[in-house]
Amino acid sequence: MGRYIVRRMLQAIPLLFIVSLIVFVLIMNMGDPLIAFAGRNGQVKGADRERLIRKLGLDQPIYVQYVVWLVGNDWMKLDLDGDGVPETNGTRRGVLRGDLGTSVVTREPVIKMVRDRLPNTLLLMVTAEIVIISFALILGIATAVFKYSIFDNVFTGLSFVGFSMPVPLLALGLIYIFGVYFKRAGLPYFPTVGMFEPAAGKTPEQLVWHLVLPVATLSIISIAAYSRFIRSNMLEVLGHDYIRTATSKGLSSRVVLFKHALKNAALPIVTLIGLDLGFLLAGALVTETIFSWPGMGRLFYDHALKSDMPVLMGVLMLISISVIFFQLLTDITYTFVDPRIRYQ
Amino acid sequence: MATLSKSITTTQVQQLAPPKVSSPGQLARRKLMKNRAAMFGLVLLGALIAYIVIGSFLFTEEYANHNDLSIRLQPPSREHPFGTDPIGRDILARTIYGGQISLIIGVTAVAISMLVGVLIGAFAGFYSGRLDSLLMRFTEAVLNIPSLFLLIIAAKYAGDKIQNFDLFGREFSGSLIVIILIIGLTSWMYLARIVRSEFLSLKEREYITAARALGVKDLQIIFRHVLPNTTAPIIVAATLGIATAILAEAYISFLGLGVRAPTATWGNMLEDATRYIDTAPQIWFFPGLLILVTVLAINFVGDGLRDALDPRTLSE
Amino acid sequence: MKRIFAPSSILAILIVTAAWLAAACAPVAAPGPAAQATQPAVAQPTSAPAATAAPSTGGNKVITISYTQEANNLNPLYTNQWFTQNLFDLFLDNALITFNDKNEPLPWIAKEIPSIENGGISADGKVITFNLRDDVKWSDGTPLTADDYVFTYEMILSDKNTVTSRDPFESEVASVVTKDPHTLVVTFNEPYAPWMTSIFSRANSSVAIPKHILQPVFEKDGTLDNAEWNRAPTVGVGPFLFKEWETGSHLTFQANPDFWMGAPKADQIFFRIVPDDASQLAAIKAGDTDIGVFISPSDVPDLEKLGTVDIPKVQSGYKESWYFNMSTDPATMGNPALQDANVRRALVMAVDRNKITQELLYGLTKPALTFWDGMAQANTDIEPIPYDPEGAKKLLDDAGWKVGSDGIREKDGVKLKLRYVTTTREVRKNTQAIVQQEWKDIGIDSELINHPSDVFFASFGDKGPIATGQYDIAEWSNSPQFPDPNAVDWLCSEIPSDANPPGGNWEFICDKDLDALFQEQARTVDAKKRIELFKQIQKIIADQVYWVSIWDDPDLWTVSKKVTGVKFSGATPFWNAYEWDKME
Repeated sequence: MGRYIVRRMLQAIPLLFIVSLIVFVLIMNMGDPLIAFAGRNGQVKGADRERLIRKLGLDQPIYVQYVVWLVGNDWMKLDLDGDGVPETNGTRRGVLRGDLGTSVVTREPVIKMVRDRLPNTLLLMVTAEIVIISFALILGIATAVFKYSIFDNVFTGLSFVGFSMPVPLLALGLIYIFGVYFKRAGLPYFPTVGMFEPAAGKTPEQLVWHLVLPVATLSIISIAAYSRFIRSNMLEVLGHDYIRTATSKGLSSRVVLFKHALKNAALPIVTLIGLDLGFLLAGALVTETIFSWPGMGRLFYDHALKSDMPVLMGVLMLISISVIFFQLLTDITYTFVDPRIRYQ
Repeated sequence: MATLSKSITTTQVQQLAPPKVSSPGQLARRKLMKNRAAMFGLVLLGALIAYIVIGSFLFTEEYANHNDLSIRLQPPSREHPFGTDPIGRDILARTIYGGQISLIIGVTAVAISMLVGVLIGAFAGFYSGRLDSLLMRFTEAVLNIPSLFLLIIAAKYAGDKIQNFDLFGREFSGSLIVIILIIGLTSWMYLARIVRSEFLSLKEREYITAARALGVKDLQIIFRHVLPNTTAPIIVAATLGIATAILAEAYISFLGLGVRAPTATWGNMLEDATRYIDTAPQIWFFPGLLILVTVLAINFVGDGLRDALDPRTLSE
Repeated sequence: MKRIFAPSSILAILIVTAAWLAAACAPVAAPGPAAQATQPAVAQPTSAPAATAAPSTGGNKVITISYTQEANNLNPLYTNQWFTQNLFDLFLDNALITFNDKNEPLPWIAKEIPSIENGGISADGKVITFNLRDDVKWSDGTPLTADDYVFTYEMILSDKNTVTSRDPFESEVASVVTKDPHTLVVTFNEPYAPWMTSIFSRANSSVAIPKHILQPVFEKDGTLDNAEWNRAPTVGVGPFLFKEWETGSHLTFQANPDFWMGAPKADQIFFRIVPDDASQLAAIKAGDTDIGVFISPSDVPDLEKLGTVDIPKVQSGYKESWYFNMSTDPATMGNPALQDANVRRALVMAVDRNKITQELLYGLTKPALTFWDGMAQANTDIEPIPYDPEGAKKLLDDAGWKVGSDGIREKDGVKLKLRYVTTTREVRKNTQAIVQQEWKDIGIDSELINHPSDVFFASFGDKGPIATGQYDIAEWSNSPQFPDPNAVDWLCSEIPSDANPPGGNWEFICDKDLDALFQEQARTVDAKKRIELFKQIQKIIADQVYWVSIWDDPDLWTVSKKVTGVKFSGATPFWNAYEWDKME
């Protein structure tokens, strides 16, 4: 097992390199990196532009910039005053030495920006994931047990609608109905944007209130996918001989369902959840944007519009690592769920 | 959560393996015909295609782009059944022309993703070894990036690289090509994996060994003998992929990085509609509804196809 | 079952708990009696608007401002962002001169505005002496002195700091020295007329940073780039003081009872970050925000109907403008027709700009006559270009651009087809579509192109589409060095090229007369003489149709009727925040 984990981790290294190369090349060519320094008229001109390009190392060839991002530049001399003679030591240490760099927009260490946003995103995403999985388990099992009943048909139809719903439409619809319209009609209403009311502060109650609509949005579009998946897995398992054997042995249908069927249907479900958990870190970009939820998705989007390379690279690398980590964790979980699987 | 839905379809599609060569398409077609949801989806799709085809005979594109500030933001009326937008364009006519583009994006983006996915999957699966691990590492790398994040970067990267062009007397924004390409090039990974696993199992079959022994060239084996046996999962993945591509276009447009003027799409009709959420709901309601209905119809059909083509359920 | 789900669910629970803890332990805003406001979703059937959102209760007057963009860095050296710069009016209110709601200069830390008459400006116009107030203290009690300004100047010019802009300290200023702790002397290389908006001013945010806090940091780190103060400027000077900043969520400023003009009336200013216009609109409608920024004209009718907010229109010098590509260099050249002033005039005559402002912008503004409208330098004698499609056709016919077989005008085999390029903003896209149709009616074909703003505004060196001349007509909003009239983009020396990649003259205009006038005005410290020069400048620009305004682009704000005393200035919006008050 230990060796397996080590091997998987070693395999992850080239993977992360490929990820970083692909996105680095794209990001470095997607817009004016100096836009962050621009004033209201959007322009950075004259001597300021030349100086900033030098200072940020943007005058270097792209592969040099990649190397600097990777291993830093504190081992090389830089020409900051533009006289053609390198004189100043660089200060960046590079991702390989744990330095994700500093945002061009905020001049803040990327790692700190991520640390600020991560709890918000996890709060939103983990809550949504729990809601989604609980509902999906109940509905998935129920629709499998009562397959082709009216309940199954109606729910399947509804779940398809949720599954096919464009997020902006759903989110804005919910805001309009439960935030604006309800308030106008004098009904109890949900807050529209943000994480809490300024005057009330960041209390748990406030967070719960403000979580309702975004979590509802995320859930409505995702429950369907999960529950359909659980349903089809359950159906497959329920069709097997050993279930019939168990039933004919006289075991109660509950025992058969939960002890025998669900246990065997669990493997693919765990896989799915495991794959998902890694991406939770990424947040939900569109939903976070519409609901003003200060999470990772919004961090990424805001800084993508400003071509803020260090932030974008940092966020993407962290997500990649998290995805790889949870994939590994999922595979290890297999051995608990299915004792037939052994890794060496 | 787009990744989620994709991973589900794939995992399910992957379960199709191994296909039974003996189950002919007829059986599948009969099964599909019996699937009410799939039939409903097909009828819906037919209606939508009729809407955007017949509609384009009723309204010219010039009319769809004609603006008149004096009738801006009008609610639905007899003259403008879907109302008008912020510069007085007819929303009904725009959904017709926008729908054509959205569907074209869906279909062509999937065609690209199939091309890339099948090629990569086929070569990786057939040759295994170093090529396989290289291609699969690459596939995995792209998979590790959340698809919407990748789309945003790609859209910003390529957004301004293609000029507007004329085709069939219509002017199109160069960004249309960009959006098709980036949606296609960021969605091939699951397909590549499916095809690879199919290839891995198929290439061990006797008939392939026989073909090899006869000295048939690799490429011929890949495309003439192995690939045709993997069509079932590819068809299902492609169908569902169209729905995902249409949604992807809507998301990227909503974020302001989608297809640009003068080309209307359902997605970019939604882009600025958010500020009229309660003052002029017609602006977002109709294109939004059309996206929903289209995606829904395609999902019904795709789901039906999956059941119909799934050899394991043939006995049911 | 329990065992099956154990690993993942335990993990999920762990994460959720961690997230909750992290969220709950994060700094909490607004102390005080907020109990009654903790449940925002409580019904208000009587719907008295004043009662729905009441974050202010006795002694805790919180004014909430929604910000559609987050501040980037609270050190003035490191930001050029409008949203951030406004904050300096609150916690770094040490500009030598500030501007009121009529955009008139007010002596602020400088006791009086230096002029040649009062001896503050030397006879040759090169030396300006500022006498500073001696009763102003940083929030930790250290007096604010001329040394702070000199330190700021040194930090701006230090190669070790990645400051946003050195303009004009690098190019114009010879030295900044102290004569005594409260006398600051700035010497210029040449007389520099726009000093008021650029030397330790709020208009370009060259306000002073605290030397006693930041000098030790600079000596220790070798740079100010990573100073903690940049993110948490706990020592400030002004009516409000920095309290906390939670990225992506909010920024708070607490009243400073020791403010040198007396304690402010409000207790706290709370900036809530809302990422998009739709969210802001919803928050304004729901009464969750007291002051809203950059309101879109299309939202105004709806907000007016609401009746709970005022919508001030603030002149900030910005004009939505058309720029024509007049390059003669084949590499950057546009359609040759644009070289002809009559063609440019015809393009404008074909468009009903008043209709655009009346309908699309709800009559909130109108086309500006000159680049300096609303300022003392504006030349009001300029004739506006009328809406006259027939006249436009005649001008084009006379210029040799005749209608071809396909209905599009052409001359010498060149079609009159123009690339009309702008950013992706909704109102600009709509304007493009309207203009395209009107041009088509007089036989001008156009191709509409939109770029995201970081692409649109990229320089020649970064292959920006405008800077490299990949357009015929471009639309964006620009302003002079407001409230100073200075503008440099029409100088011949600013034309971008391989030799001058950061150049800002993206129209590639090089008019010798205009160039001379622009250079002269920048050296003319005498305000009256300078106005005359500007009137001549505007005459040339109007005659030659070098620049045309589509509309005057004032800033639209919303202010809740519960908040009083708000007087926005176009240059320094929050200059009188100490007078803001909130009614119960």
